[in-house]
Amino acid sequence: MDIEQKQAEMIDHFMKQASSLKGSAITPLVLEATSNPSLFAFSEILAVPSVTELEGTENATLLDTLRLFAHGTWSDYKGNMARLPQLVPDQILKLKQLTVLTLAESNKVLPYDQLMQELDVTNVRELEDFLINECMYSGIVRGKLDQLRRCFEVQFAAGRDLRPGQLGNMLHTLSDWLTTSDNLLVSIQEKIKWADTMSEADKKHQKDVEDRVEEVKKTLSLKVS
Amino acid sequence: MASSSSSGLTFKLHPLVMVNISDHYTRVKSQMNPPVTSTSCSNTNGNGNGAPAPPPRVYGCVIGVQRGRTVEIFNSFELLYDSATDSLDRAFLLKKQELYKKVFPNFYVLGWYSTGSDAEESDMHIHKALMDINESPVYVLLNPAINHAQKDLPVTIYESEMHVIDGIPQLIFVNSSYTIETVEAERISVDHVAHLKPSDGGSAATQLAAHLTSIHSAIKMLNSRIRVLHHYLVAMQKGEIPYENSLLRQVSSLLRRLPAIESEKFQDDFLMEYSDTLLITYLAMFTNCSSTMNELVEKFNTAYDRHSRRGGRTAFI
Repeated sequence: MDIEQKQAEMIDHFMKQASSLKGSAITPLVLEATSNPSLFAFSEILAVPSVTELEGTENATLLDTLRLFAHGTWSDYKGNMARLPQLVPDQILKLKQLTVLTLAESNKVLPYDQLMQELDVTNVRELEDFLINECMYSGIVRGKLDQLRRCFEVQFAAGRDLRPGQLGNMLHTLSDWLTTSDNLLVSIQEKIKWADTMSEADKKHQKDVEDRVEEVKKTLSLKVS
Repeated sequence: MASSSSSGLTFKLHPLVMVNISDHYTRVKSQMNPPVTSTSCSNTNGNGNGAPAPPPRVYGCVIGVQRGRTVEIFNSFELLYDSATDSLDRAFLLKKQELYKKVFPNFYVLGWYSTGSDAEESDMHIHKALMDINESPVYVLLNPAINHAQKDLPVTIYESEMHVIDGIPQLIFVNSSYTIETVEAERISVDHVAHLKPSDGGSAATQLAAHLTSIHSAIKMLNSRIRVLHHYLVAMQKGEIPYENSLLRQVSSLLRRLPAIESEKFQDDFLMEYSDTLLITYLAMFTNCSSTMNELVEKFNTAYDRHSRRGGRTAFI
């Protein structure tokens, strides 16, 4: 889909750069990647070997930041602010966008209150501006804002990076979907057969009635004559 | 002989052209092999109607519009092929072209069509002959062999290009890609043919069956695609295929759209509409029943009630 296409080039670019740099030279790279307005996918960069080597070194915070952007939300950041480096406004914005994506994972209808709490936004106007400008115009989310019922109905949300356990869930959902559509196909076929047999029976019944009418007519005409 | 085209032209093909070509071919083929009758069974000569004759090749001209780099093929007409001189009937072509020009002043002869499984050497002669009408004609080839496993249309579009082969510059056919472009009328007719609706309106049961069949085929296609995705993900989980994050992200966003509609309001509306339909059906059935009863009673009166009339008693109902 389009977001993936837009990101593909940038992901390639960052991956190449990351594989050529090592150690603390990756710091500016991580900063650039996380502030980039159209980049929402970080698992490829996480997979680059020179990035995974950062684990345990003094730059482990970089790795943690990257992981936060790949899987975490704004509340995670607030909880761990001591361990993680300070974020620039661009990164904060991106993290909030990613938070919206995570929230859209669990429910299709997001109440304004929950959104305001998760995003640290106090009034509805600011929330709606954020949703419209940052989320919908950048194409990561599509949906309807219902101001009367104070909720946001999500029709489409771009995917975030996968947590290790999520693949199992996805497979489960897919197989459920498959069984449902299989059952549906079987029941539709039965319905079609039923409709055909009923129309057959009906025609036969009509024919029988007409035959009997003919017989009676014949016997009557015989009686008369 | 065919490699991919480098001229950079985009081709748009209308379904009318394909229907015309296949219609032309079917007509010629059925005229060649008259239907097998019972008398021909006694034909002991080995070469009876049972032996399939090689399928005839039909030829014709395609017309359309060329705007810049886009070539749009709208219509086509048939031409006679003269196997003696190995060329198309030129006078007929010019006359037909003139007639079409009067009705569609924008359309030019863009090329020609034929049927067969692959482009042949002899086609190049015809192609060159047409080059005086259009400097770079297109050759549309329809493969009439029915292949149920094939998913794409058996139509290929060839262009001619000058390539140097063995030191000699020669014209060869190169394959070009094309897209299908439809006008509203074409879409309706193709849709109609695809569904083969009973034209007399049928009984309710056949209409229901037709509707259900179309839903069934749509769901079947969706089912097969989900199955492919499922297999792919299972293989990825087992480790047979390396993780492809971009795809996984797209699948996860897709799965998040399920269930497509689930809210209280929807259930309410749906059930309300459902009960409304049931009520109306029930009411219609009631009306039917009561009218049949009424008729029955009238017939009964007419048939059996002669005696009571003399007594001045009023009849039932």
